[in-house]
Amino acid sequence: MSDFKERNVQCILKILEKKNPATTKDIMAMRDLFPDLCAGCSSGGDVILAGKQLVEEGIIQRKWTAEGFEWKLISDPDK
Amino acid sequence: MVVWSRIRKDFPVLNELYEGKSLIYFDSACMALKPVQVWEAMEYYYKYLGACGGAGRSTHSLGVETSLLTEESRQKLASFINAKSSNEIVWTRNATEGLNIVAATLPIKKDENVVTTTLEHHSGMLPFFKKCQETGSELRIVNAKPDGTFDLTDFEEKIDDKTKIVSFVHASNLTGTIAPLEDIIKIAHEYGAWVVSDEAQYAPHNELDVQKLDVDFSVLSVHKACGPTGVGVLYGKYELLEELGMFLVGGDVIEDVVYEDGKITPKYLPPPHKFEAGLQNYGGMLGAGAAVDYLQKIGMDNIHKREQSFSRRLLEGVLELEKFEVLGPLDYKQRAALVSFRPKSDSMNHNDITEYFNEMLPHNKILMRSGNMCVHPFQYQIGMSPAQGDGVTRASLYIYNTLEEIEIFLTALENFAKTID
Repeated sequence: MSDFKERNVQCILKILEKKNPATTKDIMAMRDLFPDLCAGCSSGGDVILAGKQLVEEGIIQRKWTAEGFEWKLISDPDK
Repeated sequence: MVVWSRIRKDFPVLNELYEGKSLIYFDSACMALKPVQVWEAMEYYYKYLGACGGAGRSTHSLGVETSLLTEESRQKLASFINAKSSNEIVWTRNATEGLNIVAATLPIKKDENVVTTTLEHHSGMLPFFKKCQETGSELRIVNAKPDGTFDLTDFEEKIDDKTKIVSFVHASNLTGTIAPLEDIIKIAHEYGAWVVSDEAQYAPHNELDVQKLDVDFSVLSVHKACGPTGVGVLYGKYELLEELGMFLVGGDVIEDVVYEDGKITPKYLPPPHKFEAGLQNYGGMLGAGAAVDYLQKIGMDNIHKREQSFSRRLLEGVLELEKFEVLGPLDYKQRAALVSFRPKSDSMNHNDITEYFNEMLPHNKILMRSGNMCVHPFQYQIGMSPAQGDGVTRASLYIYNTLEEIEIFLTALENFAKTID
């Protein structure tokens, strides 16, 4: 994994540690809290790609709500 | 008569299911799909040639054929935009590189200025911002009107006899605005200023005649015109290309490098070769030639007419829902074949909207782009904040799209609209 991608993975995880679950809108607004990790264009596509990867790895869940996607960190992915 | 259903068959990805769903590709403003004819042309190079091309390089059979075919492609690109000569066509990686070449090599003095607009793609603005920073020249910015159109008097106020160049987007990748390029060129030329037009979104969809426009420089991205990635074109009037300085230097741009008394003296080739340093993307050039052949065979006028009727339906359909703000002019005749929109309620991030259409529909994947489209200044100008997550979703059309796809999208958008505040 490139450093850039790894930083965005950490970005999402750090945000979800602060607010779990969080909508995409929440995540975009909280990127400022971790400027060294949340990298890429302000449109946020890089963060979304990192989030989708974490969903595939079973580390977080994503579900559709009236406010858009809600991302949730799974406390113990093996359970 | 164009049989559009046959055109669509040239794009195999559209005729296959992806993850069990039909693809509706609405992201051509970012990247056009590639027809069979283009990759066959590239395959020919990689399969049967694979050799060096370029002036004065390998003179064996494969090298000669590579050089002949790439120069033939250069001529095709010249014809595509009606340049006077293929010597006015410089191969680049993309439109961005073309704009960087013009900006970096521009002979501008400290007391001169560059005029550009808030509606430029960053690639039309930042190379000149950088140049002005380096030279101490002034960068003057014309504000687009909130609806994405322009008032010509704003250009008359900004352009003066110290203006060296006007950098201007012919068709906006964000608002779809088709700008009054011919009028702006006339104003610029009255003051002796040059104009560089960004044709990345215009040329793939409309007939472009650089001689008729009397534009000084234009840039194209071939990947938006059914061509391969990594190929673009910089057009320049020959005498102006001669006036520009050097950009990248090294192999292929020199006639000779004399070494005498411990000093080197390079003698550079004339345009277009002076801008094409190092080994080039020969396969891509062949693909580019095949791409413009393909488009011209369909006919640029046919493409324009079909797209205009489709984009009218798309625009009106999105507006009818009344839940979305559409950026840009509301008259379809003033627009390119794209619509950028966002929920009026601002209840949802733009990334979620594209993800919804990519993943949540039962039978289709509708592929669009979301974000700020590299046109941040205009969005700040109209009160959006890209830094705070504001952005748009963009649906953009091309030759392979159908009216049926637009109706599927509008139905899906109507259903989506019911789920948001």
